[in-house]
Amino acid sequence: MDSITPQVVFEIYGIKITNTVVSTWVIMVILILLAWVIRRFKPGIGEVIIESINGIIGSVMPEETGTIKYLPILGTLAVFLIFSNLFGLVPGMVSPTANINTTFALALIVFFAVHVYGIAEKGLWGYIKDFANPIFMFPLEIISHISRTLSLSIRLFGNILSTDLIVAIIFSLVPLFLPLPMATLSIITGLLQAYIFTILASLYIASAVEVQEFEQERRRLKQLKKKSKHSS
Amino acid sequence: MWQLDAPTLITVLTIIVSVAGIVLGSIAPSIVEGIATKTALEAMARQPEAAGDIRTTLLIAMALLESGSIYVLLIVLILVFANPLLELFVF
Repeated sequence: MDSITPQVVFEIYGIKITNTVVSTWVIMVILILLAWVIRRFKPGIGEVIIESINGIIGSVMPEETGTIKYLPILGTLAVFLIFSNLFGLVPGMVSPTANINTTFALALIVFFAVHVYGIAEKGLWGYIKDFANPIFMFPLEIISHISRTLSLSIRLFGNILSTDLIVAIIFSLVPLFLPLPMATLSIITGLLQAYIFTILASLYIASAVEVQEFEQERRRLKQLKKKSKHSS
Repeated sequence: MWQLDAPTLITVLTIIVSVAGIVLGSIAPSIVEGIATKTALEAMARQPEAAGDIRTTLLIAMALLESGSIYVLLIVLILVFANPLLELFVF
């Protein structure tokens, strides 16, 4: 039971601080220091990292919106997820993403970012109008938004927790050499899940901000009609 | 004398059901993922210039397909490590 529920390390004024929260703090410190060091001494490395994340996001974003507006949130998600998925391999530490509260918080960030970017791009009324284009799809769209948030969090949590558990179980049975292939599997799964989370988040944001093709055509025709009315 | 009281029965049933669940729950996603990979590889062999797009789509589809087995794994983990039914009979 101790292995899948996070353990309480200490309490501040009755708020229980678990070990996943502590490892999140450690990752925050590492990331801030790393960002400072890269910015101060090796700016080329930062450029390479940002370029590669931009390429990954650009493969699913539509052409006309571009990626540079959504790069801060998605890039931060990608870097944080890579670090926190691989953090369980450090001896004595647990991955923050092996706790469902962390992954659900990340999925909630994506959930709100989708709507905020959609409203910022199209305006409130335009976003609601585009949200469910035949109006009877409205309940289905709401269900799909809730279930995608749930599946985003549970997928990450289940993958990271299961690979960490497999490494721990094999390690308790045979401590020498046999955990190494499982640790390799854990590294691959962690990187793949970080990639998939980022890709899915950018896919959801892209589906919220992009104007559908027939809608674009309709707006163009409307403008043409207005223009011809003016000229005549 | 070993006795078949309620917690023992629940534990035994939980073990049987969890193993059956994880076996059945991992069969279907494996088959479907195999079909998806096969089709994607055939498409890549036919059109090598579209390999990058196909790989991205394949990874997204694999993640979505795998979530079924991850749900099964989550339920099995809850049943094995933190069984909520067992607390009903602990007194």
